[in-house]
Amino acid sequence: MTGSEKEVNGRTSGGRGRVTEILVVDDSKVMREMIVACLRVIEAFTFTHAASGLEAIEKLALKDFDLVVLDLNMPDIGGFEVIEFIRGQDKLKRLPILVVTTRGDEGSRSRALGAGASQFMTKPFTPDAILANVQSMLRQDAAGFHE
Amino acid sequence: MSSAFDASEFLAGYLVEAEEHLSASTMNLLAVEGSLRKGENNPRAVRELFRSLHTIKGLSAMVGVEPIVDIAHAMETVLRQADRAAGALSAKAVEALLAGLRAIGERVRALSTNAPVAPAPPHLLDALAALEITKNEVPQAVELDLEPAVLGKLSATEKAQIIQGAEGGRRALRVDFVPSPARAAEGMTITTVRERIGTFAEIVKVVPLSIPMSDAAPGGLAFALLVLTDVPDEELAAAVGTTPELVRRVLHPRPEGGADPLDEPSSAEEDVGETEGRRRGVVRVDVARLDDALERLSALVITRFRLARAVDALAAQGVAVGELGDIVKSYGRQVRDLRGAIMRARMVPVAELLERVPLIVRGLSRTTKKPVRVAIDAGKAELDKAVAERIFPAIVHLLRNAVDHAIEPPAERRHLGKPEEGLVRVTCFERSTNQLELGIIDDGRGIDREAVARKASRPVPENDAALLDLITQPGLTTLEQATKTSGRGLGMDIVRRAVVEELGGELSLRTTPGVGTTFTLLIPLTITIVDAFSFVCGDQTFVAPVAAIEEVVEVAPAGLVRGPSRHTRFGEVRFMERRGEIVPLVNLASVFSLASGDEPKALVVRRNGTPLAFGIQRMVGQQEVVIRPLEDPLVKVTGVSGSTDLGDGRPTLVLDLVALSGALSQNRTEVPV
Repeated sequence: MTGSEKEVNGRTSGGRGRVTEILVVDDSKVMREMIVACLRVIEAFTFTHAASGLEAIEKLALKDFDLVVLDLNMPDIGGFEVIEFIRGQDKLKRLPILVVTTRGDEGSRSRALGAGASQFMTKPFTPDAILANVQSMLRQDAAGFHE
Repeated sequence: MSSAFDASEFLAGYLVEAEEHLSASTMNLLAVEGSLRKGENNPRAVRELFRSLHTIKGLSAMVGVEPIVDIAHAMETVLRQADRAAGALSAKAVEALLAGLRAIGERVRALSTNAPVAPAPPHLLDALAALEITKNEVPQAVELDLEPAVLGKLSATEKAQIIQGAEGGRRALRVDFVPSPARAAEGMTITTVRERIGTFAEIVKVVPLSIPMSDAAPGGLAFALLVLTDVPDEELAAAVGTTPELVRRVLHPRPEGGADPLDEPSSAEEDVGETEGRRRGVVRVDVARLDDALERLSALVITRFRLARAVDALAAQGVAVGELGDIVKSYGRQVRDLRGAIMRARMVPVAELLERVPLIVRGLSRTTKKPVRVAIDAGKAELDKAVAERIFPAIVHLLRNAVDHAIEPPAERRHLGKPEEGLVRVTCFERSTNQLELGIIDDGRGIDREAVARKASRPVPENDAALLDLITQPGLTTLEQATKTSGRGLGMDIVRRAVVEELGGELSLRTTPGVGTTFTLLIPLTITIVDAFSFVCGDQTFVAPVAAIEEVVEVAPAGLVRGPSRHTRFGEVRFMERRGEIVPLVNLASVFSLASGDEPKALVVRRNGTPLAFGIQRMVGQQEVVIRPLEDPLVKVTGVSGSTDLGDGRPTLVLDLVALSGALSQNRTEVPV
C-alpha cells in the first residue's frame, strides 16, 4: 500500500475523466517508483501500485483503470497470466497494457503481444520513451482503437 | 455390426458429436505440439485427447462405421500409452495423430453426405502402431479434485508438489478468497491473505477466477488458493473470511486396489468435472426448427395487433375497456421477450466459430514455409449461427491473405529485425448489443499502395479507405504478382460481398508499410433469413417472402372485371375470380409508381381473411435471402420490409405484401406510398 491510491467518483468505465488512473505492476518497489517518476510529469496521471500479479488482478477487479504498466517476471503469477486474465474479462478487454520488462527476447515480446498486451518495451528505458508510449496508447484508446 | 436399434436415427447426433470431438482433439494436439516445442509434456491435453478418441470409437461402433472404429482404436492405443508416460508424445506421434484425425474427419463428412466411407488406410494404422512411446519416470496417477479452470493452471511440478505434500502427511486443501472494496478497507486483500496463510500453510498456487458479479463479489473475482497444511479447516477459513464448509480437499486418499482410471472409462467419465457436466444440460436444435418457432411467433404478433384493434374498437364504441388495454400491452411485451429468447437460442459462441482458425493457419504456415503464430481473443461474444456461417469464409480469406502475402519469409523478417515467427491475431468483441467487431491483424509487410495501383492501372490511393475500395474490386486478382508465384485470386471482393453486401456490415482497413495490416469487420449479431420469391415488376426486381404469398396465379385478361371505376393513384382496381372467390387485383408497378405494363402473373396474399392479388411482369425464382432492415427513416415505406442482395451486389427491395395490402385496403384513395 503506498498511499497514492485515490478514488475518483462518478467516472464511468469507458469515459475519460479529468484524471487518468494508471496501475503500475512490478515486484520491485524501486522499479515502480522509477516508472512513476517518468510519468509523473503529466499532472492528470494518478498512480496505484501493485507488487504482484495477483494484487494487480485484485485491484483491476475492484476499480477502473485507464492503463496498466506491467512487468513480466513476478512471483506468484507472471505477467503473461495477468494479461490473459485481463483479456478474458469483458470489462477489461480494451484496457491498454504496456509491458515493461527485462525479458527483451523476441519470444517474450511476441508472447506478450499475442496474449493481448498493447505495447512492449524493455528495461532499461528512457523517461521520454515510456511517457511517449503511455500517451500514445491513451490517445489510441480514446480514439477507439483496440490494439 | 448387429445393433438392435436403428443406427440411422442417431446419425445426425453422431455427426455433430464426432465433429465436436474432432475439433477439440485438433486443438488438443496443437496444444501438445506447442508444449513439445517448449520441451514439455502436456498430460492434460493427452488425457483429453484420449477421452475424445475413446468417445469417437465408442460412438462409431454404435452406428457401425468400422473404418472410423479402426482408426480411433489405433489412435487411442497410442494415447493411452502416452497418458501413462505422463503425456510424453513425440513430434512424429503428433504428426501421425493429426493424420488420424484428418482421416476420421474425411469419413465423418462422407457419412454426412451419404457417400461411401473408405476403409481405414493401412499405412496410417501401421504408422500409428509403429510409434514408440518412451516411458518417462511416471508420477503416480492421481486425480486432483479441481475444476478444469484451476487444474489447467497447475504445472506438473505444482501437481507433484501437492501429491508429495499429501504423501508427507499434510492435507491438500483448496479455499477461495473473494476480494471486495469493503474487505480491502479492512486490510483484507489477496496480499494480506497470502501473508497470513503463509504463516501456517504452504501455498502451492493461487489461481484467479472469474465468477458472476454479486453483492458479495462486486469485482466478479475470486482467488482459488491451493495449500498444504496441518491446521484445522476453521483456521484456513477464517484467514479468507469464509466458513469451514467451503474448505475442500483436493486430493482424496486412493481407494484400495484402485485400477488405472483409463482402463475403466465409465469411472473416468464420472469425474469429468464442471465443463462436461454443463454440456450435459445442452440440447442441440436444428436451426430450421428455431426458424419454424419464429415463424409461428409472427402469427402471435399478428394476433396481438388484431386484439389491440378490437380493444380500440370497443373503446371507440364507448365500452370501458379498462384492464384489457394493460393486458394487451403486457401481452405485447411477452411476445417480444419470447422472440428475444428464441433469437438467443440461435446464438453460438464466437470462440467456437474460431476454433478451426489455428488449424487453418497451421496448414497455411506449412505450405508457405513461414512460421506463423496465431493468437485468438474471442472472449464470450456470441453470434447468430446464420451470421457465423456467412462470415467464416471471409475470415478464412483474410487469414490466407495474411499468411500468403502479408507475413514475410523468415529470412526477410530476420533482416528487418522482426521475430522470424509471424503473428496473426483474431480479435473479437461486442461493440454494441447488435454489432460485433472482428479484427484480423498481422504483423507483416503491410499493403503496398503503389503496387496495388500499378496492378489495377489506377492512380495511387490516397488513404487506407481508398486502398480498400481498390483491393475489394472484383477482378483485382493479386496484390504482389511480382513477388508471389501463387497467382491465385485474393478474393477480397468476396470478403466485401460477405461483410458489406450480404450482412450489411462494414469493412475497414489500416495498414502500415513494414509494420502490419488490420482488417476490421463490423457485423450484425443477428440477421433475418427467409425463403423468398424474386420477381420483376415495372422492370425492377423485387423479392417477397414465400410464406407471405398464398399463391402465384396466371392472370387471364379476359376473365378480369373492372371495379366500379375506382381509379386511384396506384392504378385501377380490377377483380378476378379464383376458385369461386372474387379477388381484387392491383398492378404492383402502379402501387410503387413504376412504369406499369403487362401483368401476366399475380401474387395472391391474404390479410385477415381478405385476399388481394398484385399483378407482376414475371417470376424470376425462389431462394433464401438475408433481409437487411432499411435504417434510414427517409426510405421507410409501407410494404417494404428491407433490402437484400440477390448476388449481383445491388440492393433489392424486400416487399411485405401483406402489410401493403392492409395499407391499400384501409384507404384505397390515399396512397400509402
